[in-house]
Amino acid sequence: MSEAPLELVCPAGTPAALRAAVEAGADAVYVGFRDETNARNYPGLNFSRPELGQGVGYAHELGRKVYVAVNTFPAAGNPGPWRRAVDDAAGLGADAIIIADIGLLDYARRRHPEARRHLSVQASASNAEAIRFYHEAFGVKRVVLPRVLTVGEIAELNAKIPVETEVFAFGGMCVMAEGRCALSSYATGRSPNLDGVCSPASHVRYERRGAKLISRLGDFTVNVFRDDEARSYPTLCKGRFVAGGRASYLFEEPTSLNAIAMLPDLMAAGVRALKIEGRQRGRAYVAQVVGAFRRAIDAAARGEPAPASDLGAVTEGHRDTEGAYAGSWR
Amino acid sequence: MSETPRQAPPLPPPLSPVLLAGFALRPVPPALLGPFLKLALSAVSRRHPDVMARLETLGDAEFLIDPVDLPFSFLLRPGAPSPVLEPVGGDGEGIGRPTAIIRAPLLALIDLLEGRLDGDALFFSRDLTIEGDTEAVLTLRNALDSGEIDLIEDLLSPLGPLDRPARWALTAFGAVFTRAARDLETLRDAFVAPVARRSGAQAAEIRELDERLTALHRRVRQVRQVHGARAPGGGVAKAHAGKG
Repeated sequence: MSEAPLELVCPAGTPAALRAAVEAGADAVYVGFRDETNARNYPGLNFSRPELGQGVGYAHELGRKVYVAVNTFPAAGNPGPWRRAVDDAAGLGADAIIIADIGLLDYARRRHPEARRHLSVQASASNAEAIRFYHEAFGVKRVVLPRVLTVGEIAELNAKIPVETEVFAFGGMCVMAEGRCALSSYATGRSPNLDGVCSPASHVRYERRGAKLISRLGDFTVNVFRDDEARSYPTLCKGRFVAGGRASYLFEEPTSLNAIAMLPDLMAAGVRALKIEGRQRGRAYVAQVVGAFRRAIDAAARGEPAPASDLGAVTEGHRDTEGAYAGSWR
Repeated sequence: MSETPRQAPPLPPPLSPVLLAGFALRPVPPALLGPFLKLALSAVSRRHPDVMARLETLGDAEFLIDPVDLPFSFLLRPGAPSPVLEPVGGDGEGIGRPTAIIRAPLLALIDLLEGRLDGDALFFSRDLTIEGDTEAVLTLRNALDSGEIDLIEDLLSPLGPLDRPARWALTAFGAVFTRAARDLETLRDAFVAPVARRSGAQAAEIRELDERLTALHRRVRQVRQVHGARAPGGGVAKAHAGKG
């Protein structure tokens, strides 16, 4: 397979989504096991060991890669599931293992030195010193950057570090410091960092009050939607709360990241890979978004503008943003 | 699994051939559909054991699937040792409290089942509503999405030599259905266009009034600050999350 100018790294929550991603033009697909070792530990989602083996075989036959996310932080006193996940990902032929925890990175480096290690966004490494440390101490080859840097800052960073960078190009916006957010944990006792689940579905309820829909997370009302409003995920960071007598989005409005128009800038900034968020989404989303980004990357490589793509229907709240890349958001 | 209280159906049905077919089907007792649904579920279960494995965790959860454009609903117990899918009259008011209720137009439900539509996107656009146990709904959605279900293929597979004529009949039916759907869409646009124009103008007017009101509020706050008065709500944002 010839090297793409930008590697397109795509999500898959099921084997069917993996096939959809590959068919739509993914260079690499990232997946997780069916447990708390990855940051999308949702019910009915993710891969069994045999499914991962088959998925790797399928992708490799077509010259594509499979990365395995083992990117939550091991529970105190119980590193077993995380270590087994690393062992099995390496044993089943994953092309890279995406890890956040330094203990687990150390384990992977010692036990599977040949396995390529990527630093998860959950590690929230956003400066040259931190990234160099991860490279020198654990042989990390690629870092997934948090969604807080401008394109200019990414270019500066790339000039100072000896590893590849991967950035989010589309999908859910995590507005907090990734890997350190405690909002979900505060409301439900379960967090993306430790349990692999933000706003767990077990704590989410939707109720109708007249012509309005109310979304609740645990004991908290997250939003009250009029019937003509696009809805959003029941995460506290995108909740609409009353302050000063007025309801508004205090942290961030419901919106999705969409950097499709910035691909030439990201290429010029030295970014190696683009990541599409959304392992929890259906395979229709995967096919649509991956297809649009495949066409856009190929066009950018030819020096042409991105072809028109309508991704509005799959964005949260039916809105998108270029987030921090354009410098307008922090 | 917890049970969900019944609430008023929030989704108006779209004007579609399904809705018209639903009117025609009103006199037909839903129970007549039972054998067909049983056959369909059996075919899907046989061809997608991986999906059934993902559904096992649901135990005895019951889903009321309500196609809002049909005069009947479906009751699905996917996690039972032998999964059950049966028709129920109306929007299932006689069946007690299911674990969750899923409502959407029939074609959207089929597109979701066959992986042509993204469930989150349907939810964002208000074309799908859920009530009750969200975790159970998510498990069901994720499991079905993993299966690459193709209803026609799954249903025709046990037919053997009858497969070809059945496929021909379905293709012909599909063509008629698509034409009817297009005609109905034109009809709907013709009816709705004048109302949509009026409503668009009203929405623009409301937006403008809202902007003026916001500007006035801002001006009042500035004036109060200048005169040393406290702003409404104590002047300090009470960032509470509507706890209740």
